Amino acid sequence: MRLKLNIWRQKKDEKKGCFESYEIANLSPDMSFLELLDQLNEQLVQQKKTPVAFDHDCREGICGSCSLVINGNPHGPHKGSAACQLHLRSFKDQEEIWVEPFRATAFPVIQDLIVNREALDRIIQVGGYVSVNTGSAPEAHSTPVEKAKADEAFSNAACIGCGACVAVCKNASASLFVAAKLSHLALLPQGQAERKNRTLKMVKQMEREGFGSCTNTGACSRACPKEISIHSIARMNREYFKSLLS
Amino acid sequence: MKLSSHVPSGPLEQKWDRHCFELPLINPANKRKYQIIVVGTGLAGASASASLAELGYQVKTFCIQDSPRRAHSIAAQGGINAAKNYPGDGDSVRRLFYDTVKGGDFRSREANVYRLAQISGQIIDQCVAQGVPFAREYGGLLANRSFGGAQVSRTFYARGQTGQQLLIGAYSALMRQVDKGGVKLFPRHEMMDLVVSEGQAVGITTRHLLTGEVKSHFAHAVILATGGYGNIFYLSTNAIHSNVSASWRCHKKGAFFANPCFTQIHPTCIPRSGNYQSKLTLLSESLRNDGRVWVPKKAKDSRLPKDIPEEQRDYYLERIYPGFGNLVPRDLASRQAKFQVDAGLGVGSTGEAVYLDFTEAMNRLGKKSLSEKYGNLFQMYEKITGENPYKTPMRIYPAVHYTMGGLWVDYNLESTVKGLFILGEANFSDHGANRLGASALMQGLADGYFIIPSTITSHLAGCLPVSEEKKHISLRESEKESEERLQNIMQIKGSKTAGDFHRRLGNIMWNQVGMIRNKTGLEKAIEEIQNLREEFWKELYIPGEQSNKNAELEKAMRIADFLELGELMAQDALEREESCGSHFREEYQSAEQEAIRDDENFCHVSIWENKQNEKTWNLHKENLDFKEVPLSVRSYK
Amino acid sequence: MIKEHVKASSSVWWVSILKKYLMGLTGLGLALFVLLHMLGNLFIFAGDKAYNLYMHQMVNMEASSIIQVGLLSAFLLHIILAFILSVKNYFSRLKKYARAASGWKATAWYQKGLIAQGAVILVFVILHLITFKFGVHYKINYGNEEIRDLFRLVVEAFQNPITVVWYIVALLVLFIHLFHGLSSSFQSLGLNHPRFNKSIKGISLVYAVLVTVGYISLPLYVFLFMQEGAG
Repeated sequence: MRLKLNIWRQKKDEKKGCFESYEIANLSPDMSFLELLDQLNEQLVQQKKTPVAFDHDCREGICGSCSLVINGNPHGPHKGSAACQLHLRSFKDQEEIWVEPFRATAFPVIQDLIVNREALDRIIQVGGYVSVNTGSAPEAHSTPVEKAKADEAFSNAACIGCGACVAVCKNASASLFVAAKLSHLALLPQGQAERKNRTLKMVKQMEREGFGSCTNTGACSRACPKEISIHSIARMNREYFKSLLS
Repeated sequence: MKLSSHVPSGPLEQKWDRHCFELPLINPANKRKYQIIVVGTGLAGASASASLAELGYQVKTFCIQDSPRRAHSIAAQGGINAAKNYPGDGDSVRRLFYDTVKGGDFRSREANVYRLAQISGQIIDQCVAQGVPFAREYGGLLANRSFGGAQVSRTFYARGQTGQQLLIGAYSALMRQVDKGGVKLFPRHEMMDLVVSEGQAVGITTRHLLTGEVKSHFAHAVILATGGYGNIFYLSTNAIHSNVSASWRCHKKGAFFANPCFTQIHPTCIPRSGNYQSKLTLLSESLRNDGRVWVPKKAKDSRLPKDIPEEQRDYYLERIYPGFGNLVPRDLASRQAKFQVDAGLGVGSTGEAVYLDFTEAMNRLGKKSLSEKYGNLFQMYEKITGENPYKTPMRIYPAVHYTMGGLWVDYNLESTVKGLFILGEANFSDHGANRLGASALMQGLADGYFIIPSTITSHLAGCLPVSEEKKHISLRESEKESEERLQNIMQIKGSKTAGDFHRRLGNIMWNQVGMIRNKTGLEKAIEEIQNLREEFWKELYIPGEQSNKNAELEKAMRIADFLELGELMAQDALEREESCGSHFREEYQSAEQEAIRDDENFCHVSIWENKQNEKTWNLHKENLDFKEVPLSVRSYK
Repeated sequence: MIKEHVKASSSVWWVSILKKYLMGLTGLGLALFVLLHMLGNLFIFAGDKAYNLYMHQMVNMEASSIIQVGLLSAFLLHIILAFILSVKNYFSRLKKYARAASGWKATAWYQKGLIAQGAVILVFVILHLITFKFGVHYKINYGNEEIRDLFRLVVEAFQNPITVVWYIVALLVLFIHLFHGLSSSFQSLGLNHPRFNKSIKGISLVYAVLVTVGYISLPLYVFLFMQEGAG
């Protein structure tokens, strides 16, 4: 098959960029979207042009490096998957595809399709953990955890930190990312001691990083490769008041 | 040079405790005077950084990704072993130790393996306390499952994302220390060189992957936790950026490389679909707990799997290994799959696959229970292949997955360069010639959380002060050397892309240094690799500049190192004239295609020394004594 | 690296979540008011006397001024917060995509222009107050005392088809705003529970439909079935 790609090109240290068009032929529908970019880059290198810079690593939807918006959809059209799990069989022959980086004020573009997502790390840094020094842990079986809660904690802990929730949100809000981490730890007995402090600190950091507020559209949940529920955001809101009031 | 493993004396069970007692201590107030560099933020690197910073050391942590949370440990699916014996099915530290030594086909160090088994329980405690959401039973206690080759249920898991959950645990512990100021983080930095002064590691040189800035960083000790080198095969289950360069740079500076030919081929991966393929995806082998492996009895049978009646299917693993059936260790499962494919019995469009069938499990457990156990793996398979495993059997084929070989370390995890410690997959490891399923996560975390924080004092307490001047000179020299290497590679100005060389190298490795090896093939491989390397340094083309994000340059630097490692791997495989674990030499097999190990001549670790700027390697041997687990033929029949 | 970036200068306690909390509370209050107001409107079907007496009672209730002040402040707070949040969100997003998200990942159209919907409603409310609250004071006497004949004003106002259409349009906007806003308030207030999550959305829809149908019925009824002076 054959595709027309419009890819966002932006030089390092420059504030502006633009789309450039590339035609690429002899593609297999079983090819992954990143393999398409590989092939394009191989072509560009052979033509002595600068290849397209993009973040990628594991290529199996778990490392969270992907930061592509494909035809307006972060990670492409499918639900519950990252851009690296998208295959060309999802596109029509001759289709025109627009590829852009994740966009948000808190995620400045570095080069082409690469963005800076350190803001998410800084949010985790202020409290997204249980403070337990190595070696000081009690025996694992000393605290049973209700299976339903453990499962829900897992569903939230499954966040891969890609930032698609921010990318898709009309307000560029990181609420789902923060709520997932708060939910993961608030649901487990191990997370209780720091529950309030963690909530206050992480919410505050989210605000400082310049993410928008949540208008409950649910687009984040739908774009999330791990399909984390928007109800986690309600939990975050609840946790925040509880933390503030006590 | 005399190699000493520094294994403490005394009974096996007491070695580690005794060693911990005998290791020097560093006064808490003095710890902050020591700077430690950690390269890599996977399970081993992140856990080591966090634990050392908690103790009060000044840690600088480097990773190539934009965030430490993205290291490739994150992709481990199946689980983590621990000798907790929660199910009460007869497990114990000794049994985990025994299984690991036997599973490794008697090519690992007993004392190290025993320590690993001893620590395994503490790892689970630590992770649970961090909030790792392991699977639980309805009673609220932790669930266990049996995993690849184990006859007890000792594997802890978090759906199919155990590696992710453990890494997030270690990452968050690391970020806590970043917040407290104990760890300084350097994301998007690639290690270019190890700085050595007077035989002692005193720092590293890095390249910033966005700006191209080359810079040296000082430390009293350097810890490498940079993972394995499976990407040398081009197609592997490793992440695209996983590479050997950090290890290889250390090797060039005097760290010996051990058992490079021990590479594990994982039996359950999604087969390749075309030449454009950039990587392979692993499916957790926990699938083999409920899936049955088969091929049609007739060669080149093109019927749909559902149209092939029961009696015309060959459930070959169950037939050959009635005791273990589909759960035989990875090397056996992989090799048998290759035998079937070589005999023309393979399935799918490429004929390079076998079936993994869940029909029986569907009938026994029902779809709901099956999806609870493997839901995300099935989903993953469907996303990649477009086929639904609930309805039609999966197609699987072996792929390179893990490398047991790596930089040689002693009992303290210190390499042959003083002050350079190697953790996790990057060291030559406790897995011998073959790693058991769910043991990599265990080893990475054991090294990072529990071993290095104790053993690093063996170096720090006696570490000689380096004069400021000497320090300065070595750091600048290393920077200069790295810059020169970058310039050299940028200047080639040929016409072939780095990816092209990578693919060709991968082909040589997979065909000649892969699952099945022989003398002629290995000799041919060495020659081919040498030629390819020569061509590389003449014909390579890298676009763009050094001072930018330049993925082609990064790739080329890594492939340059792979091109050297490849030769060493082939040489190591050639030298080891026996079949053991993952290393299968055609010349050394029984009439029934079983491996024949040669304990008389090869019960040792092969340790390779590379003198700087020399193209050949010197071989050293560390003899392995098996006092607790008597040498026996590994038989799963 | 990471730590240095954070500007420790700003003390942020007045976080968006709190603003959203107040948005939700005031929103729920206003939603309750529109329901009650709508129910009152239904007296129109009972004839002029019932309608005028009810309205008289409402306006002259002891708590009336307190309620009015409360309403006005809730309304103003809702608007001001909406404005502040919109500005923040605009600057958080700033960069737009060349293509909008589509299919599953798209944001529903009715969730996009909440601030625009709010603006329409604001204009409507102002005009509504001018027309009715501060409109002509007709008088009528049902025996005890002379009270305001609001009924007459209503009937007069809705003889004009343009007014009727404008009301219907504005009320449809209110419907959209209510539908998203109600369920959204629960989310913002953190009031959710696995057992009720689905019903919250359903209840919001029913509520919004009821309120809107109730409101629209008045101008339509007047326009279609009541001639001026016939009342």
